[in-house]
Amino acid sequence: MSTETTTRPIRIAVDIGGTFTDLQILDARLGVAQAWKTPTTPEDPSIGLLTGVKEAAERFGFVLADVGLLLHGTTIATNAVLERKLARGVLLTTAGFEDVLEINRHVRRDIYGLAQEPFPTLIPRDRRLGVQERLRADGSAEIPLDESQLPALLDRIQHLGAETIAISLLHAYANPAHEKRLAALIQAARPDLPISLSADISPEIREYERCSTTVLNALLMPVVKAYLDRLEKRLGEDGFSPLVFLVQSNGGVCSLRMAAEQPARLLLSGPSGGALAAGRISELLARPNLVAVDMGGTSYDVSVVQAGRVSVITQGEIDRLPVRLPMVEMRTIGAGGGSIGSVDAAGRLTVGPRSAGARPGPVAYARGGTEPTVTDANLALGRLDPDFFLGGAIKLDMPATRTAIETRIGAPLHLSLEQAAAGMLTVTNANLGAAVRLSLFEKGLDPRDFALLSFGGAGGLHAIEVAEEMGITEVIFPREPGTLSAYGILFSDLVQDLARTRLTRAEPGGLPQMRDIIAELRQAADARLAQDGIPVDEREITIAADMRYHGQAFELLVPWGQLHAPDEAALADLIQRFHATHKQRFSYSNQDEAVEIVTFRAIAKGKLAKPVLREPTPASRSAQKAKRRAFDGQQWCDVTVWDREALGADDLIEGPAIIEEAFATHWISRAWQARLATGGALIAKKIAP
Amino acid sequence: MSLGPIEIEVIRNALTAAAAEMDITIWRTSRSTTVRELLDYSTAVFDADGNNVAQSARIPQHLNSMGAALRILLDRFVDAADWHEDDVVATNDPYCGAQHLNDILVFKPVFHDGKRVAYVGALCHHIDMGGMAPGSYAATATEVFQEGLRIPPLKLIEGGVLNKAIYAMIGQNVRKPALMLGDLQSQLASLEVGAASIRRIAARYGAATLIEATSRILDQSEAAMRAAISAMPDGTYSFEDFLDDDGVSGEPVRLHASITIKGDEIEVDLTACADQQRGPINCTPAMSNCAVYYSIIAATDGAMPANAGCYRPIRIHHREGSVTSCRAPASVAHRVAVCHRLANVMFGCLHQALPERMPAAYYGGSYVATFQTEAADGGREVLVEIEIGGTGASPAKDGVNAWSFGMHNNSNIPIEMIESQMPLTITYYGLKPDSGGDGQYRGGLGLIREWRVDSPAGIFTANMDRFRFPPYGLAGGKPASLGRLMRIRDGQETPIAPKSDAVRLLKGDIVRLETSGGGGFGDPTKRSVERRQADHTLGYVKG
Repeated sequence: MSTETTTRPIRIAVDIGGTFTDLQILDARLGVAQAWKTPTTPEDPSIGLLTGVKEAAERFGFVLADVGLLLHGTTIATNAVLERKLARGVLLTTAGFEDVLEINRHVRRDIYGLAQEPFPTLIPRDRRLGVQERLRADGSAEIPLDESQLPALLDRIQHLGAETIAISLLHAYANPAHEKRLAALIQAARPDLPISLSADISPEIREYERCSTTVLNALLMPVVKAYLDRLEKRLGEDGFSPLVFLVQSNGGVCSLRMAAEQPARLLLSGPSGGALAAGRISELLARPNLVAVDMGGTSYDVSVVQAGRVSVITQGEIDRLPVRLPMVEMRTIGAGGGSIGSVDAAGRLTVGPRSAGARPGPVAYARGGTEPTVTDANLALGRLDPDFFLGGAIKLDMPATRTAIETRIGAPLHLSLEQAAAGMLTVTNANLGAAVRLSLFEKGLDPRDFALLSFGGAGGLHAIEVAEEMGITEVIFPREPGTLSAYGILFSDLVQDLARTRLTRAEPGGLPQMRDIIAELRQAADARLAQDGIPVDEREITIAADMRYHGQAFELLVPWGQLHAPDEAALADLIQRFHATHKQRFSYSNQDEAVEIVTFRAIAKGKLAKPVLREPTPASRSAQKAKRRAFDGQQWCDVTVWDREALGADDLIEGPAIIEEAFATHWISRAWQARLATGGALIAKKIAP
Repeated sequence: MSLGPIEIEVIRNALTAAAAEMDITIWRTSRSTTVRELLDYSTAVFDADGNNVAQSARIPQHLNSMGAALRILLDRFVDAADWHEDDVVATNDPYCGAQHLNDILVFKPVFHDGKRVAYVGALCHHIDMGGMAPGSYAATATEVFQEGLRIPPLKLIEGGVLNKAIYAMIGQNVRKPALMLGDLQSQLASLEVGAASIRRIAARYGAATLIEATSRILDQSEAAMRAAISAMPDGTYSFEDFLDDDGVSGEPVRLHASITIKGDEIEVDLTACADQQRGPINCTPAMSNCAVYYSIIAATDGAMPANAGCYRPIRIHHREGSVTSCRAPASVAHRVAVCHRLANVMFGCLHQALPERMPAAYYGGSYVATFQTEAADGGREVLVEIEIGGTGASPAKDGVNAWSFGMHNNSNIPIEMIESQMPLTITYYGLKPDSGGDGQYRGGLGLIREWRVDSPAGIFTANMDRFRFPPYGLAGGKPASLGRLMRIRDGQETPIAPKSDAVRLLKGDIVRLETSGGGGFGDPTKRSVERRQADHTLGYVKG
């Protein structure tokens, strides 16, 4: 990293969403971060990005040459998969295993459905080619790679019109030699073809998951490369030449080079920004245990910060396909402002999973929606202002909303309008509470030890009632909940994950081998950080191990610390950590049982400077707006409406109350109080009964 | 607290979440590959009378049987008044309401304010329960006594204290005690988790409200089921299909159903099914009813939450002494064979009522393959795998290739995991071309898997079907392929009987399994040129 770019004062974080491109601009000279939004340009998101940067420069008064760092969150990889705008790929597998990708793991999710939807198979059968070779689990070759088949293989690749190649051979995690040799031979003949090796992309045991990840990577390489090329061309205009990093699924950023080679690492990066922000807020507010919920129109994403650390898992999925790479742990449920309430023939009230989405949207939007949604229920109860939705950008249709709820929910259930609308919210909040509880439950955690961090456009109206569901007594509403992901990205670090599967008993006899693997991992990790220009004293390499009791088929990720060459004491410490983690997550541990390590990991962090921000200043206008009639669950009452941007440190908000800001509205229930805290966050607490 | 539609929906979701928490507990804590990778287990919540009220999204064969088991326990074996808060009742006895011996059922009542508000239950398929065959899946057992250890209904935990004597006795009688008891421990842990979850709901709404809510939840599913049945045309519809044999007698086994839809009820007559068999394919009603419930719930296409309320409009008639209602001590290890075929038969009946909805036959069998390797030093490893085939074509859609369907819902086991843990090598795993039935819509393909023994010796046990009677097509669609099972030694193929015990294998022997696809739907001459072209390009159809 050149000192020239890092000393420039402006750092920009960009989060490109479906509708808006969110920016956070940090000026180190002033110690302020400011938000900007501009429409996303789906045909080439780099256009919107540059437009946003230029608009912000004009608005906030900086020159493009002052921008040293551009931290870029993008859904380009995610969308390419969801919309199937992928390259034409050929998959090479061990001969006899070409169909593993299509057979997948068998289990269906809808157990009673008649019309089963198969898992997507991104490379069809005619483009999956077998290669004569076979490795054993210990990495030894049972059948050597038969190089004489190469000419025929190259002919097939040519004939099939391949634009990219994925190679996933059995046991390649144990020995990459066959994959590497095959790649070298193909590369020599076809230097134009990008090649993804399973041993590089996801060197972990389980052939289907590794193959799926490698295939995704291969199909994304040309797509992401094209985008990055366009982006790089736009850089350089008007002296705009920042160092660019891309946000990955693991909550860290990576270099352009890494993103081009391993685009699968960007696949699940959507939640990273929010989780990073949660991590930072956890630190700023000294709340080590946070459960962060992001509620939008169609989805509700839950992530967890435990003891100040964002929870990371080793596998995620996209469109029902596994991605075996570290990612921020996220539970998503299909519930949001657009979830539809309905009553079935048996008199059962349900909310979701059907959603009105953006089109036609809630009845209140008056865009043709006829079925009442969660947003409609909030409007009918006075919690949303029909004249101040999205800061007044959309006028909401109150009469149509009331009618829809009365006729479709109230009448069939013999409930009043208020009861029907409040009932929809009760069902929704209970479902959301259950989702949050499951997220914590999976880790053996108790919700009562957590504070709830609420963001996303629809989160603020539900957060306190969801918290009440779980016995959580503190809810945090961060500043600018609509661009929180970009804010989180602003403070990210460079993170590289390396993994090596080697099924090893966790016993002193295995230490020499462990030391070799760790040394090898550290060396590779260090080389990658060096390649990305991270100075030695900003590098931090942590070792972790995926561990289990002998015979278990699923592993726990156990951090081992920043160690180099473990001795017996270090190994004993690791084993104790495993027992303790197992006990916490699964309610038992067994000290007498043999423990094994399946995969060793190195998490290489290149620390980027963390600029200090000043406290934001409130807008100079009255913090209280006119009162509004709202239903608090029991009765209608006159509720104080507060202006978030004008709130000062002395304002005490007593529930029931409503807090409005440009892109969000928050509901403070009875028996709750809210106050401003560090960094402009608003903290609501339940008053002891 | 008053109980309106809103509270009912909130409680219903909370009960489902309790079953999900129990499910997560077992998945994450169990030891054996059977539970962890095959996912052969289920969890459920029952009302205070023992009716199933919420299920985890797991295995239909389990979920629709657990309520029956609890009913039988309460009616015949355990006095509810004497079943206390910290008592766990366990059994695996098919003649006391359980399934086959591998499946241990555990139940525990949940109390609030001294009142029983619910039961929680979990079922796991254990890797081994002793008996004449590794994996306790003997294909030629003629009495339940040969199949393994029978645990009569007993309090495995009483007053919160585990009965160590029983625990030790179980451990002494099974081939892999550490794994088996580890899984049992997970199962017991899931009950604690479920009970805590239910108590939380009870604390919030009160015991009486919770009990009332569970009763209304069942009423809602019943009402939705009745509405769905009312929408089906009245009439009597019959269908038959066959199992190859019972593994002992060699004769085909007839499964026949005659269903009568009248108004909002369905009557299912299974009395024309074959007599109970000497081989281990027999079912008790607690087993065979699952296939009937599964098929009818599937035919409504997800109209209601599945629970015991769905069963109320359904009446099932059995003939005692038949394969659907066997008498003790008939052997039952592969009872799922009858259940799968019965599901095929029920789909065939329902097709006549719902020709625009029901698909042709899926492969209709659990291809259970059990290997025991024997190392030179006597060390033994056991692998149980359940393979699958293709699904039947629907009236407007091709079937799905290699897709777990019908009564079971298992995962396969990663090849790399198997090869890392025991001396077996998988030498082939792929789709089987031409195995789907032709039709305007083609059946999904079956698959091929090969296992090679790398230890000095091994024992192989098979429990499979569809080697004589292929999965049927509908509306002019063709049947799918038959299965094949072979031992390959020195390049020579020798057929293995699909229901075999203790096939001795030597180092280097390969066992090759080819499974059936699904049946086709509609006249093959109407299949579009594009679809035929794609079948050839992709190699789904050769020739």
